[in-house]
Amino acid sequence: MKTIISINNLTKSYGSIKAVDSLSLEIAQGEFFGFLGPNGAGKTTTIRMLTGIIEPDNGEIAIAGNAYPNLKPILHLIGVVPESRGFYEWMTAKEYLLFFAQLYSISNPHKKIDELFGKVNLSERKNSAIATFSRGMKQRLTLARALINNPKILFLDEPTLGLDPQAQEEIQNLLKQLNQNGVTIFLSSHQLNEVSNLCSRVAIVNKGRMVVQGTIAELQKKTNLEGSTLKDIFLALTNNNHV
Amino acid sequence: MFRNIWLKELKEQLYTWKGTLWLVISSLTFSLISYLLLTDKELSLLDQTEMMWMLAKVIISIGLLIVSIDASSIISNEFEKETAESLFLSPIKMKDFVSGKLLASLTLWLLIFIVSIPYILVTSAGTKLFFPFFYYVFLLGSLGVFGFIMLIFAISLLFRSSKNTLTTSLVVLLALFIPSLFSTTLKNNSFALALGKVNPVDNIFSSLDNVLVDYQTSLFHNGQFILPLALFCLITLMFLVYATKRFKQAGVVKNG
Amino acid sequence: MDDIKRLLMLGVLGSLLILSMAYAYAENQTINQPLTLRILSEKTLSGTAGDFATVKAQINNSGLQPLNDITTYISLVDESNKMPVDLEDWSAEKGLFIGTIDAGQALPLNWKIHFVKAGKYSLIIVAEITGQEIPQVSGIVHFTVNSKRNLNPGQVLPVALGTPIVVLFIMLLLNYKRNSSKSS
Repeated sequence: MKTIISINNLTKSYGSIKAVDSLSLEIAQGEFFGFLGPNGAGKTTTIRMLTGIIEPDNGEIAIAGNAYPNLKPILHLIGVVPESRGFYEWMTAKEYLLFFAQLYSISNPHKKIDELFGKVNLSERKNSAIATFSRGMKQRLTLARALINNPKILFLDEPTLGLDPQAQEEIQNLLKQLNQNGVTIFLSSHQLNEVSNLCSRVAIVNKGRMVVQGTIAELQKKTNLEGSTLKDIFLALTNNNHV
Repeated sequence: MFRNIWLKELKEQLYTWKGTLWLVISSLTFSLISYLLLTDKELSLLDQTEMMWMLAKVIISIGLLIVSIDASSIISNEFEKETAESLFLSPIKMKDFVSGKLLASLTLWLLIFIVSIPYILVTSAGTKLFFPFFYYVFLLGSLGVFGFIMLIFAISLLFRSSKNTLTTSLVVLLALFIPSLFSTTLKNNSFALALGKVNPVDNIFSSLDNVLVDYQTSLFHNGQFILPLALFCLITLMFLVYATKRFKQAGVVKNG
Repeated sequence: MDDIKRLLMLGVLGSLLILSMAYAYAENQTINQPLTLRILSEKTLSGTAGDFATVKAQINNSGLQPLNDITTYISLVDESNKMPVDLEDWSAEKGLFIGTIDAGQALPLNWKIHFVKAGKYSLIIVAEITGQEIPQVSGIVHFTVNSKRNLNPGQVLPVALGTPIVVLFIMLLLNYKRNSSKSS
C-alpha cells in the first residue's frame, strides 16, 4: 500500500533533553496507526513536528508527497486533535466551527457544520456558549473541528482523554467509520484497549526512541509474549513505566 | 483570511464586554474633561483653543492607553489560553494572523475616536477649527496608535505572556509620556530638545499645539512632527517583522 | 539813613533769596517735567474674562534734551479687593525699555494683556529714567472685566450625559441581537 506518512531519523531536543531521538516510521494510506509511549516519551512532540507546529532539529518528514520544510500544503489535508485544548469560550459551538470553516474557505459552511454536529452528537448544544460545555462536549467539539476540512489524515493526541465510557465508545465508532471511509488515522493514546480495538498497527516509543512497531501479533512475537495483551507488551517494553 | 481574525477579535470585544467597557470608560472620561473645561469657572477662563488642545491631548492619550492595554493581551491570550495551536493548524498565514489582530486594535482606536466626535463638536463650537481639530486628532492619533500596536505586538510575540507584555508596554508608554509633560523651560538643553524631536508623544502634542493654538493647520507646517511619527511607525514595523521571524523559528508551541 | 540802608540790604537779600528759589524750582522742572505718559486705549480696554486686549500708550519728551535708558511698565490694581494684581497671567511683556527718546519725540507703547478674571481694575503706566529718583506716572485708567458667560453649557451637558448612555445602549443592543439569534 502507498506510504502517506514517512519519518526518517527525526530528532528534536529541548536543551540537553532529547524529546525525540532518531525516530523512523512509515504509515500506509488508510491505515489506523497507534502511537504509544509513557508520559514524556515524545509522542506529542512527534505529532507537533508532523503537523508543522514545531520544527525538527534533524531528520526527514514526508506527508502525502510534501516533504519538510514545505509542509504548509498538508494543512488542507490533515485534521488534528492537539494536546492543548484551548477554546474561544465566549463563542457558541456553531460560531467556533464557522470560524474554522471560514479559515479553510469551506463552501456552504453551515451545511457542513450541521453535518458535523450530528456526527459528534452536539446538535442540541450548537448554539450554547463553549464556556458552558463539559469536558466531554469540548472533546467532541475539538473532533468536529478536526473534521471540518474533510481531512485525508487525522492526527489525534489523546482524543478520548477524560471522557465517560459511553462518550469514548461514540468517538471510537466515529473514528472506525472515518477509517473505513479511507481516512488515515494517527492515534496517540494511553487507552490501550482503545488502541487494541482500533489500530491495525502500533508503535511504542520510550524516551524519544522507537522501541518496537508492527501489528499486535508481530509485537507479541517480537517480545516473546504470545497471547499477552497490548498492556503487558507495553509494560514490558517501557520498563514498567506507568501508563 | 486576516478578515476572519479581525472579525473574531471584534466579536470578542463586543460579546465579552471588554470593548463596551473601554468605550464607556473613554466616553465618561471625555464627558468629565469637556464638562469641566466648558463649565468650571477656573478652567473655562482658558482660551477656547487651549481647551481644544487639552481635549485633543486627552483623546489621544486615552486612545493610546486603552489600545496599548488591549493590544498587550490580544496576541498573548492565544498562547495563554492554548488556542494558538488549533489556530495555526488551520491554513492561516502568520501575516494574516498579525494583520487581523492589528486591524482589530486599530478598530478599537477608531471606535474611541468616533465616541470623541460629539465632544470635539461641542468644544470647537463657534471656532473655525472643527475640521483641523477633527482630522489632526484622527491623523496623529492613528499614527501614534499604529506605531504603539506594532511595538506591543512585537513584544507580545517575543514574550508570549500578556502580563510581561502589559508591564513592558506601560513602562514604554510612561517613559514617552512623562518627558512630554515637562514644561518648555525644562526642555532647554540639547539632550531634552533631541529627545523631544524623536519622542512620538511629544511630536503628537507639539503638532496639536501647532494646529489648535498657533493655527498652523496645513500638513506642510506639521511635517516636522508627522515625519518623526511616520519614522517611529517604520521602526516599530521593522521590529515587528523581526519578532515575527523569531516567533516562527521558535515554533507556535515552545518546549512542545 | 541807617534804616534806609538796612531796608535796602534786606531787599537785596530777599531778592537774592527769591531768585535762588526760583532758579532751584526751574532746575527741578527741567529734570522731571519734559517726560509725559498717556494711556490712549482708555475706552477700548473693557472686555470679558478670557479676552485679549492691547493697552496703547504714548511717551512724550517735551524737553530740550534727549533722555536715555527709560524703563516703562504697567501696574494694575484690583479695585474691588484693593490689591495690586500679579501680572504673571495677565501679560507676558511686563516692561518695555526705551534706549533714547529725542527731544520733542513721542513714542507709542503697546502691551498685550489677557483679561484673566472679572472685576474692576485701575491701570497706570510708570516710567523710570536711570539715575533719577522720582518716576513718571500716567493718569489712572479705570476699566471693567465682565465675567465670562460659560462657553456652551447648554450643549455640553447633553453630550456629556448622553454619549456614554448612547454607547452603552448600542453595545447592549448588539449583544441582545446576538442572544436572540442564538436562541432562534
